Amino acid sequence: MKTLTELKQYYESDLLPDLKVLETRRLQIVRKLMYVGLALGIIAAIVIIAILSYARGNLIALLFPLIGGGAIFMLAMKFFSQGYVGDFKTTIIDKIVHFIDQSLNYDPHNCLSESTFRSCEIFQKRPDRYQGDDFVYGKIGKTEIKFSEIHAEYKTESRDSKGRRQTHWHTIFKGMFFMGDFNKDFAGLTVVLPDTAERLFGRLGRKLQSLNFTRGKLISLEDPEFEKLFSVYGDDQIEARYILSTSLMKRIVDFKKKTNRRIYLSFAGSRVFVAISYDRDLFEPRLFNTLLDFAPIQQYFEDLQIAVGIVEDLNLNTRIWSKQ
Amino acid sequence: MKGEQAMWWIPVVIIGVILLFAVIFYNSLIGKKNQVKNVFGTIDALLKKRYDLIPNLISTVKTYMEHERGTLTEITELRARAVSGGLSDNEKVALDNKLSKMMGGIMVAVENYPDLKANQNFLQLQGSLNEIEEQISAARRAYNASVTDYNNAVEMFPTNIMASMMHYETKALFEITEKERQNVNVGELFGS
Repeated sequence: MKTLTELKQYYESDLLPDLKVLETRRLQIVRKLMYVGLALGIIAAIVIIAILSYARGNLIALLFPLIGGGAIFMLAMKFFSQGYVGDFKTTIIDKIVHFIDQSLNYDPHNCLSESTFRSCEIFQKRPDRYQGDDFVYGKIGKTEIKFSEIHAEYKTESRDSKGRRQTHWHTIFKGMFFMGDFNKDFAGLTVVLPDTAERLFGRLGRKLQSLNFTRGKLISLEDPEFEKLFSVYGDDQIEARYILSTSLMKRIVDFKKKTNRRIYLSFAGSRVFVAISYDRDLFEPRLFNTLLDFAPIQQYFEDLQIAVGIVEDLNLNTRIWSKQ
Repeated sequence: MKGEQAMWWIPVVIIGVILLFAVIFYNSLIGKKNQVKNVFGTIDALLKKRYDLIPNLISTVKTYMEHERGTLTEITELRARAVSGGLSDNEKVALDNKLSKMMGGIMVAVENYPDLKANQNFLQLQGSLNEIEEQISAARRAYNASVTDYNNAVEMFPTNIMASMMHYETKALFEITEKERQNVNVGELFGS
């Protein structure tokens, strides 16, 4: 486990030189964007004045230059920063991944497959849009791991008052998705979901949960702290308890407290899947702030460490049963 | 006249609803009782699996563990008694507790025999034994959960009315003995 002090040293010795190179590129991009922004601003101002003088009272028309200008600006941002983001990831993030563990591999443009994401049955809704990046894979001790950022969404369509079709996108999951070898062999599926009903409704909530038909049987476990935070569904009462031993339940509770985020787990095919919800994008370089600060580097390190640390937090390297 | 006509079907509906609930409660209690029996059956099957591993364990460690000859013989005897059959549920549990304690002692004593610890056969056997112990522990926990569910139905209102009519009584839980807690620790001992 690398410490923050070690990271600081590594940052000063190995990362700063690369960061300085990238910083020059960032400043170039920001300058270009300022010119674009200025040009757009002038055009928008002209259009607004024109609208105000010729289409009196039609204030809605004012939205068009504003929204159009904003959209063009966003496109420009994306266009200019493409190469920059890719290079940042292949230099800086790649280095941080190897700093954490030499044997890990990093691919900025890949992610865990949609079939893997769906196979763990944490999220049962079929995604209409599935994307991800920052794929890390390798072996920590005896445990093979793979993780990446994932953003999965589904869409609903509706018709507004004018009869036009509108598409609305809803997030199924956004955040870090982790898959690892589990230290015991098992055949079925067990899913651990954040528990809302029990917290709100107590016993009645439990009764409602047991009626959930899309999931397997509700498994009530003995650890009260665990039960307050999660509800467990599985197809076999005994196998679920074989997997979720008293010590693993405690470890999961500690892990949830450590990350302080919404987490979901699933055990399928002798593997464990962990989904950690984030609303921000991880591992993206700043555009409008200096790259030379230590704070974002620390953030990247901590985010990566949370995923890699799952192996130790869930004790996956302890192989005292049949599976080796 | 209208009032009299409306009245006659009210008691019929009330009786119908009571009967409906009676059926629901009856079935629910039967289901819970059967679930308890189901899990106990699985525990029985797992215990048998563990008994099957014992002869292999004895033959693997016999040649190494000079000082534990006495314990090993006792374990063989206990096992023979356990598989011979004809034991009541309580006797099975008592026998299993005794056997577990002795086996726990053997696994700890292995620490004194580095040759044995490195033996591939033994390591594989140890893995299987740990796995079976963990599964038995899981089955016991599932049993306790089923019994708690059943006991709740027998004691809580309104299903307790139906339960007393069926002469259902509360069942006892499996005690997770100190030995069992120790079992987990022994596993972690060997884990490093």
